This record gives sequence, structure tokens and C-alpha cells, in this order.
Amino acid sequence: MAEIRDIKLPMTEEDVKSLKLGEMITVSGLLFTGRSRLHIRAIEDNIYPPIDYEKINCFFHVGPVMRQEEDGEWKVVSCEPTSSIRFERYGADVVRKFKLRTLIGKTTMGPATAQALKEVGGIYLSKIGLSGNALKDQVKKVHDVYFLDELGKTECTWIYEVDHFGPFFVAMDSEGNNYFEDLAKEAESKMPEIEKDLGIPAGYDYTEVNAK
Amino acid sequence: MIRRETIVEAMYNAIRLGATKMPPDIRRALQNALKEETDPMAVKHLEVSLQNADMSEKGNGLVCADTGFPMYFIHAGAKTQLEGGFGILKECAEEATARATAECFLRPTMVHPLTRKNPGNNVGPGMPKIEVVFDRDDDSLEILAAPKGGGSEIFGTFYRMMFPADGEAGIKKFVIECIKDACYAGKVCPPAIIGVGIGGTADLCMSMAKKAALLRPIGKKHTDPEAARLEKELYEASRKLGIGPMGSRGINAVLAVNVDVAVTHTAALPVAVNAQCMVGRRWIAKIDGNGNIDYTGEME
Ligand code: SF4
Repeated sequence: MAEIRDIKLPMTEEDVKSLKLGEMITVSGLLFTGRSRLHIRAIEDNIYPPIDYEKINCFFHVGPVMRQEEDGEWKVVSCEPTSSIRFERYGADVVRKFKLRTLIGKTTMGPATAQALKEVGGIYLSKIGLSGNALKDQVKKVHDVYFLDELGKTECTWIYEVDHFGPFFVAMDSEGNNYFEDLAKEAESKMPEIEKDLGIPAGYDYTEVNAK
Repeated sequence: MIRRETIVEAMYNAIRLGATKMPPDIRRALQNALKEETDPMAVKHLEVSLQNADMSEKGNGLVCADTGFPMYFIHAGAKTQLEGGFGILKECAEEATARATAECFLRPTMVHPLTRKNPGNNVGPGMPKIEVVFDRDDDSLEILAAPKGGGSEIFGTFYRMMFPADGEAGIKKFVIECIKDACYAGKVCPPAIIGVGIGGTADLCMSMAKKAALLRPIGKKHTDPEAARLEKELYEASRKLGIGPMGSRGINAVLAVNVDVAVTHTAALPVAVNAQCMVGRRWIAKIDGNGNIDYTGEME
């Protein structure tokens, strides 16, 4: 397999354009973390971490396990990307608000986020397998934390400095294409044959008991 | 008489080991899946996941950071005696869970569903979940701890009340569609173990699905030949979807389909699906009547 490219954060427009759907990469630089609460608060309440989003422009969807050492330093015990599709309601607004070029998470996101990524020139990276233990070692430094008291260790925003973080693969490119959409269509097209093999009559439907 | 501190110790270690080790049968099944997959992305998903499990085992890290819902499934015997009586199992589970959370073996993940407040220790109304069955004839206590991940529970839970006329075709259609939806984009972290409950009441149906997914070793078939036939047919159908590890292009969306059945109302055909993710976390503590504890990841 070809060498896995490492891309510096924040990504440039050229970086983003050069990334192909399905390509595996690692990233190095600064990123910020968050999940449901960050999305909801940023859009509904206009409350978000006061960071420079041009410099820290990669949003990592994660609820890490964090431990505070005796000297007060925070250590990442494990960080497994969390399911991004859950954030679809606010995904596009967050991408536009912070002009995010890089999202990292698990699974995929929907068409609204794809459109927003296309507008700002951003991509969405999805995780490869389960890799929380490797990822935690690639976090070189925990720079800062926001809203720890209010949101707790899992939902708050951490600022990580990462080195060769990943690998992840390009699940949504900056043209609005989604890696999983083709696959879903393929699976869907196989369903009639599979149902036939299972002995399900063509055109079968469940008994309907509600007014239509 | 089994002492209270022994029970807490056993529960704590079972959930800690569950969070940090991959059960041997799951590992073998993932290694077999790896031999079958050819798409580079599918292969990479499995390689990385197996490496991750090795790393957690060596360094006491977690097989997955989302340690999810803390659950304890307990078997007791007719002669089992606990210091303080069986009523103490709940507080023992709370103590063990809070300790494992404080020591970072469990992520503080349980929150109030309305206020979304996080107590920080995974303890609250209904959680940790414990279930006790008295199905042994000795004086032992067996505790299986299963920290169940969010992805598999959130995206892998389905229920449908069907009717007798919907028949086996309805069951199969429902289950194969659930598998396709659950595995899309790797939502439940496939290869998944798919538990299917058929019959009973709605709650029994779902509970059967959950236990079929969580508590059965890979490769073990149902003793009812009709249920075993459905397991085989649905498993084979799942392999034709073209969905592989983490939703990539491949064969192994599923490691096993485990069906369980209960008698039900003559007018009803309830079906439930609950998925377990590829880490298949569970670990067992067996306490004998003298308080000796044995831990194992192998299930019978
Ligand atoms: S569903 Fe995936 S991310 Fe969630 S606990 Fe399971 S393996 Fe981890």
C-alpha cells in the first residue's frame, strides 16, 4: 500500500483539494474536541470556546477518557472518535460558523454538512477501525480545556497537539461526495436478490394497522 | 457465605477486565474475518482494531473509549448466601462501577436523560443495570460484566410488533433491513453480533435480543432447530450485502446472528434486534461458596 500522507493542521485549500475520497491520511498540529453539547450550545446559545478558529481549525468529534496527574497535567487515557452522524442537525451550521476545513469523527455526516463543507472547502475524515490507544499516544500535548466544570471531561472542549494522528480516511471530500453513499446504493441494489434467497415474496409488506 | 467485599471486588475486576480485554472468542472471529476480507480499507479496519486490542491488553488501556452502559448479569444457586442478603447486589454494583470510573477504566458516560447532568460516576436511577437469575443448584455466584458501547446500542436497536400473518418472511425482512441500517457507515462498529428476540412481551423480546447479542459465545447455535436455522439463513444473507468491517466494502458486516425465542400471544409476532459491536466486551467473575474468585473471558 502507498505511503500514508501526513497533512499539517490547519489544512490549506490546496491540501483539501488534493485529498481523494477513500484516501488514508494522518494529520499533525492543533485540533479541538467536542460532541453534542458543543454543537448545541454553539448554535442555540452562541456559547463556544474562545479560540482562534483560523489556527485551531480541525474539529475532532470525540469524548475522550482523561486523567489528571498529580502535578495537574491532563493525560489522555483513550480517545475513540464518536459517531458524527448524530450531530447532523447542527453540523452544517458549525462548519460555516467556524469555517472548518477538517472534521474528524466516526461514521459519516449527512447532505447538509456535505454542502457546508463544499462551501468552506472542507473535508470529513472518518476513523479506521478502533484505534483509541494508538491515537492517545499521538496526542503530544493537551494545551487547554474549556467548559470542564460545566460539561464534564467527556463533553467539554480539549485542545490537543497531535503528531501523525490517525490514520483516518476521507469519507467526505470538498466536492460534496460521500464515500458511504455509493456503498449504501450497492447494498440497496442487492436487497431484492437477498430477500429472494431468504424466501421473502417479491413485493412483500408488513400488515398495516394504522390509518394512512 | 460470600462476603460483601468479595462481591464488590469481583464486580470491579470483571468490569475492569471487560473494558480492557477483548474476549478470546471475539478475537478469533475477527482474525477469521481478516483472512476473508480483500478490500484494503476493510483489511485496515480489522488490523488496526486487533492491534488496538493488543495495546489495551498490554498497557491496561481500553479496547474502546466508549465504555457505555455498565451492566452486570448475575447467576446464583439455590444454596448461594450473600452477606447482607441479595438486596446488597445493587449497592455492590454501584460501588464497583463508581470505583472503575474513578480509576478511568470506565468513562463517565451515564447522564440524566432530561437534564443531561453527568454525576461523573456512571451511577444513577437504573444504572448500573443488574439482572439476577437463580438457575444454579450450588452455592456460587457468577457475575458477567458487560460495558456496552453507545454506538451499538444507539444505532443497533430495533423493535417491531408484527402479526401472525406477517410470518417468517416478515421476521427475515425486518432483521436483514436492521442489519443493513445498523452497519451503514460503520454505525454499530461492525463486524457486529446481531441478537434477535422473537416472541414474548415487548420487554422480554428486547431483553432476549440483547442477551443473545451479549451473552453467547461466537459459534454457539440455539438448541431449537428452527431458531438455529434462522440464525444460519440470516447470517448468510448478511454476507451478501457487500458491507464489511466499519461499513467498508466487504463481507463481514456480522460475526454472528443469535436468535432467541419465547412463546407469545396467539395474535402477536414481536421481533426485536439488538447489536453488539466488534469489541464484544464481557468478562466473567465466578465466586465459589468459599469466596474464591476466578476470572475468565471464555464463555460456555
Ligand atoms: S460501538 Fe464502536 S465506538 Fe461504540 S463502544 Fe462499540 S466499538 Fe466502541
